Amino acid sequence: MSGGGLEKPQLIAHLQQALNYTAFQALWVPRSARFLCLGSLPRGTGIIQLYELQSGRLSLLRQIEKPKPIKCGTFGASSLQQRYLATGDFGGNLNIWNLEAPEIPVYSVKGHKEIINSIDGIGGLGIGEGAPEIVTGSRDGTVKVWDPRQKDTPVANMEPVQGESKRDCWTVVFGNAYNQEERVVCAGYDNGDIKLFDLKTMSLRWETNIKNGVCSVEFDRKDINMNKLVATSLEGKFHVFDMRTQHPTKGFASVSEKAHKSTMWQVRHLPQNRDVFMTSGGAGSLHLWKYEYPAQRSKKDSEGVEMGVAGSVNLLQNVTLSTQPISSLDWSPDKRGLCACTAFDQTVRVLIVTKLNKI
Amino acid sequence: MSDQPMPSMLYQGLTKTYQIPIGHLDYTFIEKCTDVKHLEKILKILRSGEEGYYPDLTLFCEKRIECLAPGSRALRKDKPAATAADFTTEEWEEINGEIKSWMTEMQEDYKIQLPKTQILHERLDNLPPVRGSDSCVPIGQNQGSGKKQRKKKNIPRDYREWDKFDVEKECSKIDECDEENNSKSRLLTSSNVPQIERTIDLTGMSESEKFFIANREKEKGNEAFATGDYKEAVTYYDRSISVLPTAAAYNNKAQAEIKLKDWHSALQDCEKVLDMEPGNLKALMRHATANKHLQNYQAAIEDLTEVLYVEPENAVAKKNLLEMEQKLKDIKPVSKTHTKRQRILIQDIENSDGEEERERGSGDKKTGVLVQEEIATEKSEMGNVQKKFTSKGDGSRSDDKETQNQREHTGSGAKKGTSENRTPKHLPDQEAEVNGYLNNDKKKSGNSNVKEENLRSCETVSSSSGKSISTLLPPTAAKLKSEGNELFKNGQFGEAVLKYSEAIDNVINLGVQNPDDLSILYSNRAACYLKEGNCSDCIQDCNRALELQPFSLKPLLRRAMAYESMERYRQAYVDFKTVLQIDSGIQAANDSVNRITKTLIDQDGPSWREKLSPIPVVPVSAQQHRWDGGTFTSETKQKSVTDVSGDKQLQINSEKTEERFRILKTEGNELVKKGKYNEALIKYSECMKLNSQESTVYTNRALCHLKLCKYEEAKQDCNHVLQIEDTNIKAFYRRALAYKGLQNYQASVDDLRKVLCIDPNVAEAKKELEEITQFLNPNVTTSSQQKQRKKIKIHEVTESNKQESQVSTSEDAMINHIPSEGGAEKGVPLKRSEKLLISEPSTAYDFGQSINAVNARKDKAACADLLMIINPPKLPMLLSNKLDGDTFLIFIQALECYILGKNPGLVYQHLFYLSKAERFKVVLTLLSKNEKEQVRHLFELLSEKHNHQFSSEDLESLKRVYEL
Repeated sequence: MSGGGLEKPQLIAHLQQALNYTAFQALWVPRSARFLCLGSLPRGTGIIQLYELQSGRLSLLRQIEKPKPIKCGTFGASSLQQRYLATGDFGGNLNIWNLEAPEIPVYSVKGHKEIINSIDGIGGLGIGEGAPEIVTGSRDGTVKVWDPRQKDTPVANMEPVQGESKRDCWTVVFGNAYNQEERVVCAGYDNGDIKLFDLKTMSLRWETNIKNGVCSVEFDRKDINMNKLVATSLEGKFHVFDMRTQHPTKGFASVSEKAHKSTMWQVRHLPQNRDVFMTSGGAGSLHLWKYEYPAQRSKKDSEGVEMGVAGSVNLLQNVTLSTQPISSLDWSPDKRGLCACTAFDQTVRVLIVTKLNKI
Repeated sequence: MSDQPMPSMLYQGLTKTYQIPIGHLDYTFIEKCTDVKHLEKILKILRSGEEGYYPDLTLFCEKRIECLAPGSRALRKDKPAATAADFTTEEWEEINGEIKSWMTEMQEDYKIQLPKTQILHERLDNLPPVRGSDSCVPIGQNQGSGKKQRKKKNIPRDYREWDKFDVEKECSKIDECDEENNSKSRLLTSSNVPQIERTIDLTGMSESEKFFIANREKEKGNEAFATGDYKEAVTYYDRSISVLPTAAAYNNKAQAEIKLKDWHSALQDCEKVLDMEPGNLKALMRHATANKHLQNYQAAIEDLTEVLYVEPENAVAKKNLLEMEQKLKDIKPVSKTHTKRQRILIQDIENSDGEEERERGSGDKKTGVLVQEEIATEKSEMGNVQKKFTSKGDGSRSDDKETQNQREHTGSGAKKGTSENRTPKHLPDQEAEVNGYLNNDKKKSGNSNVKEENLRSCETVSSSSGKSISTLLPPTAAKLKSEGNELFKNGQFGEAVLKYSEAIDNVINLGVQNPDDLSILYSNRAACYLKEGNCSDCIQDCNRALELQPFSLKPLLRRAMAYESMERYRQAYVDFKTVLQIDSGIQAANDSVNRITKTLIDQDGPSWREKLSPIPVVPVSAQQHRWDGGTFTSETKQKSVTDVSGDKQLQINSEKTEERFRILKTEGNELVKKGKYNEALIKYSECMKLNSQESTVYTNRALCHLKLCKYEEAKQDCNHVLQIEDTNIKAFYRRALAYKGLQNYQASVDDLRKVLCIDPNVAEAKKELEEITQFLNPNVTTSSQQKQRKKIKIHEVTESNKQESQVSTSEDAMINHIPSEGGAEKGVPLKRSEKLLISEPSTAYDFGQSINAVNARKDKAACADLLMIINPPKLPMLLSNKLDGDTFLIFIQALECYILGKNPGLVYQHLFYLSKAERFKVVLTLLSKNEKEQVRHLFELLSEKHNHQFSSEDLESLKRVYEL
């Protein structure tokens, strides 16, 4: 069966490393062949490990232990020169670390009452116009936007209306940062809600429900006029929204695809091609997809209002790496086709995806 | 396979899930079935193994589904990750190699820690302010669109803002706000008109960051292009270019602009690409397309022919070319002279550019207004953030203006470029250049040394003509160029390349648009590359030169030579043919064409011509008729003759005899170069009949005699000359050689001393003197005839160079020129080349360059300088495998004459490490007796000088290494 498939991209398990802790996230250090593993040690403390790709193996360069398990991290709000890591931990703390001197955080705030599930940064790394900002989403139901230049208080706070039950926010991302003013935050919740906050107008711009808990959302690119949004769900389905045309009542057009038999933990777009993305599944599988645009991306509805038209998704390749869920995946921003992923079998893997330039 | 009784349990199992009769699990059924859903169900049953395990049938079913619906989900199977076994070894190696090289690159990169503190602060200052204080967005669960609460408060709260307050504007804004509220589509409108900044703030960015960002912006452009958002794509390409202008970004932008039918911009961008990467096919094709749509058919045809020249099989280009030609025919009756038409079109472009610029300007203003509007809405929404936003808006507006200005600037620059490119060629300059070439080319012959000399002199000519005609070259560039020419003459081609490159950069940076000079610079650099054997760069430079100056002779010829040495005979053939179209009299080109024709016939058989790309037709204006060239050369030669012979001759000779004399003499010179000394002798003798006072003829004839070993006659000729001119250095020198041939060493030494007395810098004389002194040495009994001949041979070359210098129009630039009259001048021109700049060589290449220069002039002093600064242990490394007899000898001589007295220890060290060099043994075995004698002599002298750095045993063992 796989004989004729060599023209397709292939996923190669390049390197792997067994870990003695549960890793929640793998994260490439920009402009380097190094990546970080963030996780939780069995004794209930947090750990950051720095690995470097060396010929034929992974070498552990540094290991930093912190009091609380670290759930998520990002370099997105830091400049290429500084490369400060922002992390969210089980205690609801947002910390920014200088990895050269990780003893005391550069910035620290107790942002949430409960675990920070997801974090994203923007305005650094040359990605996204405007100020550097960090957004955190927590089990306490709030989504907060932080500016590293402002201590203690968030610059924006999206929280449930008084009296309503709090929903666990599982995922947050920035997007639409194509100029100094525009910026949106998209958040996904355990009840299947997806909410799009416009930070320019400080308002809720759009929301929808995909019926199952939203495990991961991501814009194809953060620093362009919103183009596409992918949201993965608990029961193994994902939705691709065309974010260019918003209909006043119907919102954004979308296409959905069921791929994994179990939870779809994460979606990550290829930094070098916004229409290619990888999803990681609960059964240790990885699926590589490509979005195909329709001939016309928008059309007029019966009342003459513009509405979007969704395209289609094609499966390029799929592999199964493990029996345990793959909790995170990160593409190297510098090397096309290189990615690192962590799985709950306590292993971090470095994968190479071939032929991505020929898609 | 299908059981008749059908066990009820199994049947039930099926009906329970899919209600499929068991009979459907059959090859024939599956083959006929077209219902994909049904087949998928069958596949599921087969895979589940409920009915038993049928691998073949499963596979068959899968294939059937794949055939009907290739994208079917049922076909997705869990697969393990690919391994090395899934790839061919080459692929696997490629993948691995790529990762490895990237890793090392990244590791290198990581080591270079970027400078931090200061730059970062600068950038932080440029950041937008912190978002307005903790603003809450209350969210409910899926309760429809958000509740926006707008506070309408548009009145400024600051005195300064009152000044800016425009009542009407505010009123209209309020209206607009109402409208927006009504339509509830503010968000939509704003998303429809995205305002993306066209430039990127670069403060505090390092080069690698710039590269990274430029690349990223370009990728964003590509993606936008792929989705069909051409406007957005253009914006992102603009951004990429604003960070780091690259040809690729311009090229892609041009493509996007073509899609947007923005022909003028596309044209400009293509031109930018072609400036950066001449011969970029994609850019040429796009240029053609843009030209076509601008109804600029002639230009389009030119582009397309250029494409077809490189890629003769390009079907699209062919098709377009035909179309263009058809269109041109249709139009032709209307406009007759296309040069004029082109001119007008250029103006057209300029005008429209202006318009476009203005349009853009107004567009930007609109942006400003829009921003304002948005700010207004902002104000209405959140009163407390008002101030900040206003200031932000202003800032961005001024930015807009700035970028606009910038763009205008670059735009006009590019315009200049285009118009300059199109200007008809500078005829006088070109003519001069061509003539210069003709001059030199006459002297072309098989002798490589002569050839080199030839090239040198042609270089000089081009530089001098360049100077005389175009004073347009900025002074720094002109200086760099002349330095480059100087280095070229000295054989330091690598350094000359650097100088020329600097000059080119200078010219380009200054934006001075003089294609002629730039073309010459490129052409000169190409000559250097050709000398270095760097053919590909030579070709590239020639291409550039030709782009600036189509059909100029020298670059064409150089490109042809480069192609030939790269064994790309077809291109070489085409170029030589083009050269011959411009000037049919260039011997080298004729010879090469014949040679290449043979090679091509051997290679491609009788149909070799079919494989050639078409030979471009040279416009009449660029053609240089032989006749013109002839008169020009004769003139210059006449001049040179008068220069040489001085006033005396002019008074005596009538014009006619002078003419005949001149012809005879040049013929004689030609013959000398060809090595036909007997014939040359006759010519010179005839010359003498016409004019017995002309000393050069005698010296030349003396040379012939020397070559023919008629030493007595040579001596007589020299005597004759010396009677006329008692300070003729050449005559002395040749008489010395003649005496040497006659084994009258004492007389020879006397003559050589006289030569050195007149001009102490004649290295050949020095060398000769040393040799002959050795002959006088009683230790040496006989000197082999063979050796002598060899020595003379070396001189032959330099002699003929001198000969040429007489003919050449650029006498004063020659290295070895010796003024034939006025010995009192004592070689003024030599002074320029006296000091060879010696810097410590760090690589074998540098060293090789220096050695070449040293060897070319036999400059022992320079060689000694070189040896003084070199650390002896590095010698073998620097020499690498380039040690040859000449180098070896000049080392020995330099060590003996200059270093021995000062530092005998260093001499020993050098000798020791020289023996460690590669090819040392080979060189040693090839030494002639006399040369060995020199080495022995050096060792003898060295043994006399006792030094603590080496013992006599050391010296003895070293002597054995030198086989003494």
